[in-house]
Amino acid sequence: MKKKMHVLVIAFALVLSVTALVGCGAKKATTTGANGVSSDIQKIKDAGVLKVGVKVDVPNFGYKDPKTNKIDGFEIDLARQLAKRILGDESKIQLEPVTAKTRGPLLDNGQLDVVIATFTIKPERLLQWNFSDSYYTDQVGILVKKDSGITGLKDLDGKKVGVAQGATTKDAIEAEIAAQKLSIKPNYLEFATYPEINAALESGRIDAFSVDKSILTGYLSSDKVILAEGFAPQQYGIATKKGNDGITKECNTMLKEMTANGEMTTLLKKWNLK
Amino acid sequence: MLDWMGSDVITMLKDPVIYEALGRGLQLTLIIALVTIVLSFIFGTLLGIARFSKIPVLSQAATAYIEFVRNIPLLLILLFCYFVGGLQSRDAAIVGLTVFTSSLLAEVVRGGLNSIGTGQWEAARSQGFNYVQILRYVVLPQAVVKMIPPIVSQFVTVIKDSSFAMTIGAFELMYEGVILTGQYWKATQVITIYILIALIYFVINFTLSLLSRKLQGKLSLGRGTIGQ
Amino acid sequence: MGPFSLQKWQASLSNFPMLLEGLGVTLIVAATGLALAMIIGVVFGVLSSSHWKVARFFARVYVEFFQNTPLLIQVFLLYNALPLIAPKAVIPVTVVGVMGVGFYHGAYIAEVVRAGIQSIHQGQIEAALSQGFSYIQAMRHVIIPQALRVVLPPLTNQAVVLIKNTSILAVIAGGDLMYRGDSYAGSVGNYGPTYVVVGLLYFALCYPLAVLTKKLEDRSEVHGNA
Repeated sequence: MKKKMHVLVIAFALVLSVTALVGCGAKKATTTGANGVSSDIQKIKDAGVLKVGVKVDVPNFGYKDPKTNKIDGFEIDLARQLAKRILGDESKIQLEPVTAKTRGPLLDNGQLDVVIATFTIKPERLLQWNFSDSYYTDQVGILVKKDSGITGLKDLDGKKVGVAQGATTKDAIEAEIAAQKLSIKPNYLEFATYPEINAALESGRIDAFSVDKSILTGYLSSDKVILAEGFAPQQYGIATKKGNDGITKECNTMLKEMTANGEMTTLLKKWNLK
Repeated sequence: MLDWMGSDVITMLKDPVIYEALGRGLQLTLIIALVTIVLSFIFGTLLGIARFSKIPVLSQAATAYIEFVRNIPLLLILLFCYFVGGLQSRDAAIVGLTVFTSSLLAEVVRGGLNSIGTGQWEAARSQGFNYVQILRYVVLPQAVVKMIPPIVSQFVTVIKDSSFAMTIGAFELMYEGVILTGQYWKATQVITIYILIALIYFVINFTLSLLSRKLQGKLSLGRGTIGQ
Repeated sequence: MGPFSLQKWQASLSNFPMLLEGLGVTLIVAATGLALAMIIGVVFGVLSSSHWKVARFFARVYVEFFQNTPLLIQVFLLYNALPLIAPKAVIPVTVVGVMGVGFYHGAYIAEVVRAGIQSIHQGQIEAALSQGFSYIQAMRHVIIPQALRVVLPPLTNQAVVLIKNTSILAVIAGGDLMYRGDSYAGSVGNYGPTYVVVGLLYFALCYPLAVLTKKLEDRSEVHGNA
């Protein structure tokens, strides 16, 4: 009886994997319809709404103000522009909160059309998702307690550094350590959400919180400081499912036009960004 | 010193954002829990029937499902539903919790139905009731009453376990609370927020437990009723 | 690259040693946590069966608190709130895990112990003593064997749940099986196969105990409870 059960359970796990293998299937390449509109854009038009993944905890980029409960920011404005271009109406967007951990998977299964959420363009990511041209370049920063005595990357030897699961921060730090030829070894601890990393920093569980500087500004408080040191230019791009070339093309055209006619500068100024 | 600690907390407690955020979180927690327990009851009943049916394939498949799901962490099921299943946070939480809870409720339903002695069936049959009528008028009413305490206890467990949905981005009570500690980061404020969260869970669950205990008579020791 | 493509399976399996390290941490935390939970469970179980109202109340408060609040908030209090009160006493994360599951399951085991104690009729002790057993002999040959039969099935069940609950370490960067699996999965986007492998490892730990539970349950039913 016990042996039978074991066989059944292994079989169950295999069946799961096989159906998923079959189910994942081939990537659908975008086709161009009769009116010159590619299939992925047509899907959005048919749906009548642009589903966008955004951050809700990064001030000025994507932030849900606790007082108003509305999500606003530079990236939300970009989303609105994109909706205006595709659907003709900038209010036809559906904002979905995402984290570094969740934004990729939600693109892959079609829950979201695009992700505009401080998503850094990286070579290994380009294999998995389509990215537009960069719309903003940020740097990785380090947030520490003022009384920690940490003034730069060099002080992080053996220290506990909190990073977000799914973010590229750890690799960025390691690359910078190599570039500066430091022989230090920080101890990386991963957490699922930024508020958890911040809580761990506050309680002393970790010595430093590292992620893009833009995100760190959301956790600045009178007892903490963002170190001046910044590294690893993080180029943010609008991400969409691999193969959705039509959407990516539209994004790039939009960004080009916005830069050319000064809209981009206005928007950056609006949100205190450079 | 005590004054200084107190004033931070008082300032925070005066801010309506605290209550709105926790209220929103609590709302989602309860929605997730309610939908889960209803779906789990339905699915658990089907599962229970499959498990004890005379068809070998059905009963073995159901048993394999139940045994596999009960021996892996709930957290893993939630992560799987979210990252591999690709559902949105709230839906992944409900599906994951349902997958898990229905395997437990299958036992409860079976236990409830089994507890009605065969004597009742025979007596009812001798009175001329057919199978469906017996189920409807004799067995189910009694079985349901017997099943209520373990189901309520499982509901309490689901409310607690819904806190794991924080890791897949669901804005339930736990996550809303942790987000608040980003804004109110001072030691006393953080501790107060955590205690508030614990209190809210406690009040709801303790009340439910008391109700369930009133319905129940004695404490039974089976695998299904002493919770997780 | 689909979620379950062959490359992903290969990648997951090549990282198996890393997962095994996590399994080691899980085992240590589970074993230590279970020991702690047993101690707490016996203490509070006995207290809740005592004649003193104060002892019973004290035990009741403990049990109700830990049974009606999520394990997650308890662990967060230990992990993030405790250092704020006692900055010098930073408890290592594995100890936080042990304490977390220990206190939580201690409450459930207390209830099991209480039920076990109460299932023994007072008359049994008197009868054994009247037969010439000393108190210790009565305990050893009459009372404890019966109590164990009642108590062992739910205890092994609690052990299974405890092992699963050590996965809470994943949320506080605790280095256990769940943390490592999830961390690896997230860093390279390889979720499906990794989760299946992690699941099978937990299953391998828990299922034998679950089977043992069922065996013990059946045995206690055959002999009948006191």
